[in-house]
Amino acid sequence: MSSAGTQRRVRVVLPVLATVAILAPLTWMWLASLMPPAYSVMDMGYPDYGGVQPDLTTAGHDHHQLGHRSMSTRSITELIADPSRPADVRVDLVARQQQPTGGPSLARYTLNGTSPGPEIRAVQGQLVEVHLRNESVGAGVTLHWHGVDVPNAMDGVAGVTQDAVPVGGEFTYRFVADQAGSFWYHSHQVSNPQVAGGLFGALMVTPKSGIAQSLDVSALAHTYGGVHTVNGKAADLHVPARPGQRVRVRVTNTDNGPMEVWSTGSYRLLAIDGSDVHEPSDVSGRSLTLTAGARADLEVQVPVGGSAVRIQLSKAIAVIVGPSGSNTPAPPQPGEKLNLLTYGTPAPLGFDPTRPTRRFDYVIGRRPGFIRGRPGMWWSINGHIYPNVPMFVVRKGDVVVTHIENRSSEVHPMHLHGHHLVVLARNGVPATGSPWRVDSLNVAAGESYDVAFVANNPGIWMDHCHNLKHSADGMVAHLMYEGFDTPYRIAGPVDNQPE
Amino acid sequence: MKTAYKVLAYLVAAEVAIQAMVMVWAIAGLGKWVDGGGVLDKAVMESDASPFPEVFGFIVHGINGTFVIPGIALLLVITSFFTKVRGAIKWAVIVFVLVVVQGQLGFLGHEIAAVGALHGLTALALLVTALYAGLRIRRAQRSNISPSEERVTAPV
Repeated sequence: MSSAGTQRRVRVVLPVLATVAILAPLTWMWLASLMPPAYSVMDMGYPDYGGVQPDLTTAGHDHHQLGHRSMSTRSITELIADPSRPADVRVDLVARQQQPTGGPSLARYTLNGTSPGPEIRAVQGQLVEVHLRNESVGAGVTLHWHGVDVPNAMDGVAGVTQDAVPVGGEFTYRFVADQAGSFWYHSHQVSNPQVAGGLFGALMVTPKSGIAQSLDVSALAHTYGGVHTVNGKAADLHVPARPGQRVRVRVTNTDNGPMEVWSTGSYRLLAIDGSDVHEPSDVSGRSLTLTAGARADLEVQVPVGGSAVRIQLSKAIAVIVGPSGSNTPAPPQPGEKLNLLTYGTPAPLGFDPTRPTRRFDYVIGRRPGFIRGRPGMWWSINGHIYPNVPMFVVRKGDVVVTHIENRSSEVHPMHLHGHHLVVLARNGVPATGSPWRVDSLNVAAGESYDVAFVANNPGIWMDHCHNLKHSADGMVAHLMYEGFDTPYRIAGPVDNQPE
Repeated sequence: MKTAYKVLAYLVAAEVAIQAMVMVWAIAGLGKWVDGGGVLDKAVMESDASPFPEVFGFIVHGINGTFVIPGIALLLVITSFFTKVRGAIKWAVIVFVLVVVQGQLGFLGHEIAAVGALHGLTALALLVTALYAGLRIRRAQRSNISPSEERVTAPV
């Protein structure tokens, strides 16, 4: 064979090899990102035991040794409220899908004909029973009790704790409202379009002893198709009140991004995410950042001079509290923000976060890859993109500390189901004010948080971004208790799509 | 393959121009909307709505920058293996690297606004590089010089 012939052959083969070297890994990554027609969250990603050896007595052999389908595991369907206890509060909700007509009807989805759905009120300790019927929501529907530490089977996550309720189907949620505070409920099936389209409502739990304020108002901020609203109306909410009256305003951010809240005069932040602030002081000249899914209970006092107090829910819309017909000009947006690390005074946490039994990292990034066959720059968790995300494994009684870090250049409202997080530090600066308990935490670009919680509510819980567009793009991990399994599947014949 | 290479290189350059055009179109539309009383905040940005028609420009910019241009640049690199023009691979790789850097700068600009300025500057570098990559193939085709004999006069 001549050397010229060899050269010619190399010249033909080399480009082909180079092309294969580029396309083969891409094809493999694309194929690996395709999801089976039905899969369990137990099969996703890899287990992260937080520095603890897994309990092999309850661990199974297949998949990730997560206790999946082994003899000694329990189904999360057992995790319910006492079935023999009668309900104290009963609510029937009918979910419907509709064409938004504009004007008064901005919503694409309603509960009992309205959006937001009816406000559910309970007294602390009461058993709440909500019967959901899906009349016409084509993709199916569920209800998640955002911020309430319900038994796992009542958490309302399609494909994890239940199947989506199809058209004509029903589901009954039962849980004890054992924490007083402001909460909300929303669909957790195809959640971005359904929540954005109006499938949500308020849940308010008052303490047995009642509240100090004589007027208790809820204000759900929501953006329907780019239109700012409060309690479903594209206009400021006027609340009649007497001069000098102290009013509790429960603000809920039901949108996908953080919202600034501020008022005329001063306000007091009584509670955040349903947890009381210890010895809150008056705040003026500072706005409160209320992240997506979060709630704030504000106390304001109506001025004695006959004017109103105005609480801005962003610059776009407000709650105006005062005598009928009164108003007050919109206060300018403060340049400074309320620092919840130092707000209020310290109080016992009820557990010791300095000696955690498990430590996790939740580092949010962004990297190229494929998700469900689609190329893109996707959100990553600890360097991995969906579905290769961590499964945080705990045991009941664990004290867990998680380091959350946002290296993705965009803000993420992080939401852990079924538990409350205590903020220990932000960017390494320790919290020195009131215990700051959250279920929805605003993690801005470049920020880091150290948070702690007690693993006291067994089951399988979502730990995801509450910018529901981000969770639909795979920004979803789970927290699971060793020895539990779910019979439900993502996708599958009922097409469960929790995000 | 030379023609394919040339077309892909020019396409990258054209896409850079489109990126600049749609961005200014969208920002102008946003300004007009705010002038008319529109309020932009995170809630509106993250909603699925199109509060003003020019918002389409932001969407096009995002899709182009994330998927379309990297895809074209990757095809350019693959095509360069078969063009048999000296320097074709090198210039295709330079275009591809600039596309990747440009994308990263674009995303980072969401956190550090000053990086956005660099994103604008890199766009010009990418435009010039992609045009040059295409032009030198055109020159090679015109001079009809065989690959082994071709001499590229431009700086490399």
